[in-house]
Amino acid sequence: MAERSAAIVGLGMTELGKVYSRTAAQFAGDAVRLAVADAGLELGDVDGLLTSAGVSGGVGLALQRDLGLRDLRLLSEMQSYGSTAGQMVQYASLAIAAGMAETVACVFADAPLRQDTSTGAAYGARGAVGWRGLLGAAGIRDTNSLYALAAQRHMDTYGTTNDQLGHIAVGQRAWAELNPQAQMRTPMTLEDYHASRWIVEPFHLFDCCLVSNGGIAVIVTSAERAASLARPPVHVLGWGQAHPGHAQRRHEDFGLVSGAARSGPAALAMAGLTVDDVDVAELYDCYTFTVLITLEDYGFCPKGEGGRFVADGTLGPDGKLKVNTGGGQLSSSYMWGMTPLSEAILQARGEAGERQVDRHDVVLVSGNGGVLDHHSTLVLSPHGPAGRSSS
Amino acid sequence: MRVGPVRRDEATAAFFDGTARSERLLFRCPAGHFSPPYAQQCDTCASVDLVSVAAAGGASVVSRSVAHQRGGDRDTLVVAELDEGPWWWSKVIGAEPEQVAAGARLTVAFERADEESEAVPVFRLA
Ligand SMILES: [Zn+2]
Repeated sequence: MAERSAAIVGLGMTELGKVYSRTAAQFAGDAVRLAVADAGLELGDVDGLLTSAGVSGGVGLALQRDLGLRDLRLLSEMQSYGSTAGQMVQYASLAIAAGMAETVACVFADAPLRQDTSTGAAYGARGAVGWRGLLGAAGIRDTNSLYALAAQRHMDTYGTTNDQLGHIAVGQRAWAELNPQAQMRTPMTLEDYHASRWIVEPFHLFDCCLVSNGGIAVIVTSAERAASLARPPVHVLGWGQAHPGHAQRRHEDFGLVSGAARSGPAALAMAGLTVDDVDVAELYDCYTFTVLITLEDYGFCPKGEGGRFVADGTLGPDGKLKVNTGGGQLSSSYMWGMTPLSEAILQARGEAGERQVDRHDVVLVSGNGGVLDHHSTLVLSPHGPAGRSSS
Repeated sequence: MRVGPVRRDEATAAFFDGTARSERLLFRCPAGHFSPPYAQQCDTCASVDLVSVAAAGGASVVSRSVAHQRGGDRDTLVVAELDEGPWWWSKVIGAEPEQVAAGARLTVAFERADEESEAVPVFRLA
């Protein structure tokens, strides 16, 4: 751990979901203003800005001007897909540890939904040219198909079933019922899950994340400074990244193991903790399957046992492990890596309302990008690094 | 429609010249490793001394999924392992999805959406 440790002191979330009135750039500006206010700071206190755009683009360096931020010491646009949010917090923490910046805003915003097009169209539009076009011409038109092929391989290899994936969807919906901000709050049973239409087998509609407009920002500063600010600090105790760089060839473990297997243990080791210490896990859930493979790779259960693990009373508000307590990307809203990160901050602060978990000393956050190609992990806590007088 | 239309660009020109001759091209390095046709270097030994060779045409299913279209049509999508080693993502035609399981043997075929489109490699059950 670096000499100056970092803490998240501000969280800004715009209205999320079918919100058509704002562009991605406007959502990004709104989210940063909300996060700065939440921290009890002024925009003028921000000396670092990291931005991340979704599929609609439009969130980048110009945000500095939009927010009137002068004399920044750190500014960059980042892109590692769903692992970006966790990575932004990591780079912000490093910059703070190095004394390069004091207060860094990290923001993601996206506005793929248009009032006159389907949610499928928001992510599906691609010209049929070149290698990408070839994939589409052969019927592999979207990310759903690629993850479905990953999931089916896991099912064939380890005996994972749709019923087990359904437990993930049902568990998260039960959490979403307790989250006033969630887009999907209608109670769901396993029967409802099985009855939802097939998208790409083995995925039903309820295996797949939502599509949402909106923006989320967090403010990272030194633990020292955090102690005097408005909100309870959320300390960044550990982190990791893993980018396996899978080749597309014989003997690859595509669908069986993800970058989480390296990133998770690295993050926990940095924090001086083990998976047994985790009270709350906010896991990237673009699909139910992503939750399952991440649970295995993080070591919550042995490899191949994820299906049995999630079907065994593990998930949901009454479950043994508190996973995706806001409903996640499946039932709350889809803000890429900011969905698990924002819920982790609320839980660590003890501000999650009706869905607040009693024990929230160690909150694990995952980010996942590409088709299990990029992974980031954060270990967050309301308590500072052991042996330090940071709060 | 069995496959959609696709146009070539600079990166895919040589590959589509191959599919027009009903050949699925791979790269081979001096050590004999095979790499996919979009490789910049050998994905086993990093050699950049790559020559184009036609794949023999045999493959087996690594994983399969079934895409459901709004109209009720189903597409059997596969990750197939070519006998040379590289994987290829495409669909299986001429078979019900239930007939296509992990490990099933496949053979390559080529389909065009229309006269203007390039030929697209797909698979049939062997
Ligand atoms: Zn080689």
